[in-house]
Amino acid sequence: MRYRTQAVAYPYFVVALLLYGLQMVFGILSITKYLGPDPIKAFLPFDVSKEIHTNLLLVWVLTGFMGATYWLVPEESRTELHSPRLAYWQLGLWTLAGVTAVVGYLFGWTEGNKLLEQPMPVKLAIVVVMLMFLYNIGMTIWKVRRLTTTEGVLVAGLALTAILYLPALVTFDNYTVSIYYRWWTVHLWVEGVWEMVQGGLLAYLLIRLSGADREVMEKWLYVIVGLTFIAGILGTAHHYFWIGVPGYWLPLGGFFSALEPLAFLGMAVYAYMAMRRSGLAHPNSLALHWTMGSAIFSALGAGVLGLAHTWPSVNRWTHGTMITAMHAHMAFFGAYVMIVLAMITYASPGLFGHDQEAGESPTGLWAFWLQMAGMFGMTMAFAAAGISQTYLERILGLGYLETQHKIQVHFLMVLATGLLFVLGVGLYLYDFFFLAPRRRTASAAWPAAAAEPED
Amino acid sequence: MTKRQTRAFFLGSTGVFSLIFLALTIDSHRQFPALTHADQITPDVIAGKHVWHRKNCVNCHTLLGEGAYYAPDLTKIAAQRGAPYLRSFLADPAKFYNEERDRRLMPNLKLTAQEIDEVIAFLTWVGKIDNHGWPPRPILVSGAAIPGTNVGGPVPQPASNDPVAVGQALFGQSPPACFACHSTAPGVNLVGPSLAGIGATAEARVKAADYHGKATDAVGYIRESILDPSVDLVAGPTYSSNGQSMMPPGFGQSLEPAQVDALVAYLMTLK
Repeated sequence: MRYRTQAVAYPYFVVALLLYGLQMVFGILSITKYLGPDPIKAFLPFDVSKEIHTNLLLVWVLTGFMGATYWLVPEESRTELHSPRLAYWQLGLWTLAGVTAVVGYLFGWTEGNKLLEQPMPVKLAIVVVMLMFLYNIGMTIWKVRRLTTTEGVLVAGLALTAILYLPALVTFDNYTVSIYYRWWTVHLWVEGVWEMVQGGLLAYLLIRLSGADREVMEKWLYVIVGLTFIAGILGTAHHYFWIGVPGYWLPLGGFFSALEPLAFLGMAVYAYMAMRRSGLAHPNSLALHWTMGSAIFSALGAGVLGLAHTWPSVNRWTHGTMITAMHAHMAFFGAYVMIVLAMITYASPGLFGHDQEAGESPTGLWAFWLQMAGMFGMTMAFAAAGISQTYLERILGLGYLETQHKIQVHFLMVLATGLLFVLGVGLYLYDFFFLAPRRRTASAAWPAAAAEPED
Repeated sequence: MTKRQTRAFFLGSTGVFSLIFLALTIDSHRQFPALTHADQITPDVIAGKHVWHRKNCVNCHTLLGEGAYYAPDLTKIAAQRGAPYLRSFLADPAKFYNEERDRRLMPNLKLTAQEIDEVIAFLTWVGKIDNHGWPPRPILVSGAAIPGTNVGGPVPQPASNDPVAVGQALFGQSPPACFACHSTAPGVNLVGPSLAGIGATAEARVKAADYHGKATDAVGYIRESILDPSVDLVAGPTYSSNGQSMMPPGFGQSLEPAQVDALVAYLMTLK
């Protein structure tokens, strides 16, 4: 840790990881409900458990992004953070908004718009948090007038995230129009500006971990985010095929979605080449695992598995089936969960005052491989469920309920591999909360504790 | 390539594709009213949309294929099931499905009669959106478009004594095996004609000039068609020949009167 105020990242990571753990609880509950009958549906029906599962994901990944940014910006701009106090207040308000939303969902307080269910007061609080965050980051950079490409891409991605949230504040009477703009937030986040965030964090990690040449890395970073937007902006159309839009969206969506894997593939090659050229000598090999894993898993999950059903003549049959769940789980995990965990793993020794030479912990490696194996298994199980569902329900014309009955075994597999995954998450949390603080070298004070507000 | 060039590539391509996207958005807005029949978005439809959101329907069901996958797609449900069925289903879903058998059951949302009508108005409007013919085949809630596909599946059992629920289950049981020749999916004609919309068809037939049977209303017409299939014939090579329906006669003997009543009650909901 080069700058004292980088330590504000620590409470962000704490909140992010706690919510990650909670997300697992609601994920397991949701898949159990697929097996049915559901003894607790009277007070926690599927719609609520699923809504909390996905909302927690969004909240904790964003918390991780913000924590990672607070860690990265002082280092990149070579200055202390503008206001640690503001950062703590921001985290407080953000956590309050998140917890309020989750508790509200339990009592049916929802806007019932997929992924954007947050009630209006919560949405407004989110906007305020975003503004506090961007102000704090902006002032930090502005004061020293030093902005690297890596942090520029990262911060631009987060600023655009905030801007693209604005359509979520508007309601439309026409359901088709409301879906049309819902994807401006959801799609342009995950297949657009969040990839800038992922790209920025990836570039930072690769430069730090492999010692790759900054000029070269940042040059290619532009190419990757450029490709992302070429494919991703018009790729939004793959969500538009069947909602009541003009016909030209179909070929457009098919073509540009087919380009989307290129950007992800570019990211994987980018990471691989950096490692090839500059070696794997960094002692924090666990952070290397997560970094490389993110580049590869997102290419598979978001790139290849997304392409599996974005072509209109395929999507015609698979739209609204478990095929989507297959793609979504691996894509989110690979692109965003893993990059946040990579940042946390990279920053941990600094935050805990460890000796960088301490090397990897076996628990950390188990946490990594169990999550990899679990997510791979879940993806395969969702794929099997989705393919069966498409043939039985969509092509053969068997009823929805009969079909669900026949594909139960795949839900059982999702549950089994899901539990494996949760075990991995549990080990990660155990390592972060219990083992890592104890590993710190006796002489070092705990730097995270030293970052009291100073202004 | 220099960093300056790659930055120009990023900014330039992002700018160009954002502009294309915005232009297409404007054009889409020009076409939305016609594609979505925006003139039919009545206050009831809007109120129904609010019910849809307030009750979080989208986190179990899909609509236009968008939502969650825990419950069936509802894009064409209004046309498939008809308002009378949906009204009584939404008032108490447990009357129609059984959690032990179906593994899942829609919770009773405790909607008022007005909310139910509003949400049906909303779903009716959604069903008419011009969405490039999706879904390509009807997505059924239960049953099968083609007989025999549900091999090894459980025999349908009524979840309650509601005549519609009893009739629906009976339709899928063997005997009488109605499902073996008739689908309830629109356009899926098997050996016998599809019964999608039979409630409305029956109403039209009793009033038709070439109808010579004894029925005076739709209920009577459906009952007559079950008990004496040859009175009013549907043209089709596998439906009838030489003035005789190919549907087996004798359901009057093999079915109890209450069972016939239940079948009629169920078929009447298909409008």
